[in-house]
Amino acid sequence: MQEKGTEAKTGTKIKTKADAKANIKAVRHIKRFWPYYVMVTPGVIYLLVFRYIPMLGSVIAFQDFSVVKGIAGSDWTGWKNFQKLFQYQDFYKILKNTVILGALKILAVLPVPVLLSLMLNEVKNQKLKKGIQTVICIPYFLSWVIIGGLVFDLFGSGGLFNHIRNALGMKNLLVMQKESWFRPIYVFSSIWKEAGWGTVVYLAAISGMDPGIYESASIDGAGRFQKMRYITFPLLTPTVLTMFLLNIGSFLELGFEQVYNLYTPMTYAVADIFDTYVYRAGIQQGQYSFATAVGLFQSVVGLVLVVIFNHLSRKYSQEGGLW
Amino acid sequence: MIKESLKDRLFSGIITVILAILAMIAMIPLLSEAAISFSSKAASDMNRINLWPVEFTLDSWKYILTKGKIWPAFFITLSSALAGTVLALGITSLMAYPLSKKKFKAGKYLMVYVVFTMIFKAPTVPYFLTLKNLGLYNSYWVLVFPHILTAYNLIIMRTFFRQFPEEIEEAAIIDGCGHFRLLARVVLPSSKAVLATLGLFYGVTIWNQYQHPLMFIQDMDLYPLQLKIRQIIDGGGDFQAITAVRHVNYTEATLSAAAVVFAILPILVFYPWLQKYFAKGAMLGSVKG
Repeated sequence: MQEKGTEAKTGTKIKTKADAKANIKAVRHIKRFWPYYVMVTPGVIYLLVFRYIPMLGSVIAFQDFSVVKGIAGSDWTGWKNFQKLFQYQDFYKILKNTVILGALKILAVLPVPVLLSLMLNEVKNQKLKKGIQTVICIPYFLSWVIIGGLVFDLFGSGGLFNHIRNALGMKNLLVMQKESWFRPIYVFSSIWKEAGWGTVVYLAAISGMDPGIYESASIDGAGRFQKMRYITFPLLTPTVLTMFLLNIGSFLELGFEQVYNLYTPMTYAVADIFDTYVYRAGIQQGQYSFATAVGLFQSVVGLVLVVIFNHLSRKYSQEGGLW
Repeated sequence: MIKESLKDRLFSGIITVILAILAMIAMIPLLSEAAISFSSKAASDMNRINLWPVEFTLDSWKYILTKGKIWPAFFITLSSALAGTVLALGITSLMAYPLSKKKFKAGKYLMVYVVFTMIFKAPTVPYFLTLKNLGLYNSYWVLVFPHILTAYNLIIMRTFFRQFPEEIEEAAIIDGCGHFRLLARVVLPSSKAVLATLGLFYGVTIWNQYQHPLMFIQDMDLYPLQLKIRQIIDGGGDFQAITAVRHVNYTEATLSAAAVVFAILPILVFYPWLQKYFAKGAMLGSVKG
């Protein structure tokens, strides 16, 4: 910056000198760091090919894209696809589903591991504590295909759920085909898969808390519940806030695989989210440009949300945001 | 240590019991699935199975393991997870190492380049078309290549490399050790914990992946495990015809239960390592460099 400043004032002679200086600097830099440049090259090329080129490919949202003609040969249509999108009834349905499921995930799923961690912290028998934690973490490592299989069996006509209903004198209920049941199923399957694992971060934060505070609270006559309520919970709040802000940023990324493995055509009306819709309209039906417009809308809104909430999490928690 | 009051012990005891019950409830879906897989056709048809096998039989398992065509899918998934893990660790550590150096000024800009991929995702369709143009449609390598470098894992590794003592590296450089040898012989051998962690992150991602194979793989001979399992769950393939034969002792339900349990087993075998190293990764991931 400084070199630029002087060059503007004193004219061309200095400019060449400064250029030469900059060149020497660049050569030195390359000489010193060339192995680093070689090392990063595969990664840079990889990200270019697998992440950036597809981003640039989004321009087909502004085209009437055909695979035969390619991007260069297809007709440009401006904002037509987006206009179509905003007039499209299903778009609002999908947007609504995405927002509702995203909100449920944050309001109903995120607090569960916090509660579980506070509870686990009260288990005195260390072996039992470890055992419980080991068991509740298992589902985290299973794929959504497997979880989908388990859920369909559990709630199918011959599944345990209906056996219990029958035992209570109720009729069979095909839960997976019922619109009103999709959201509860979505929430419970999320909790089953992720809540146990979520305790890892919180328990680590709890184990890092100063034992001195607990000792002095005990001397003052605080019971276990009071210590949990007035020491552990407040001290855990910053970690909870950080996790909350990070998660709310990726609000729209509900994950294709969970919904795809839990929904049925009978529940599309409440289950269809951006990712599943884009897959069906874009990949299966070949409406490339329109599905790209839908996806681009999601990506841009997602970007704005992440940036806002990352900023907030840097502001309100000492651990900072994603970057 | 102050002796705990009766009230405290009761409080702790009640919570322990609640958690133990919750943990047992959490295992019900797995137990119930296993029970179905070991039950007879009659029991399955009559919907009589709860948490324990009814009229115990291994017939469904025998069928799945010998005629279910599940092994090719298993080996495709296994080999792609192994290949992907090796490639991923190579490319990630090569990139993370220079980026961990504060004196490497270009690193700052490269980090922006990396982090941006985390916050802006390419829409599915152009992503699909790009990979298709690269010849990855219906290709084994689509199981591997899309998963070998993620910004999140790169940042974890960079954070880890930052903790490596600089004096050791400087001493090695003075002794005439080049940067590549330094990385391969000095830095990586003392980074086994992070390599194991990220190796498992990448490996599990590839093992459990469903969306990529669903979009890209049409050829049934190339089906990885998750796609195969989903096909069996959906009653696809020749299962319907097979279970219609009268004298067999399995149904579509028991066969798909056996397939699902089969796919869970490898995860359970590796579970102690998964738990240990994933926890390490979660800790590293929450500390930003």
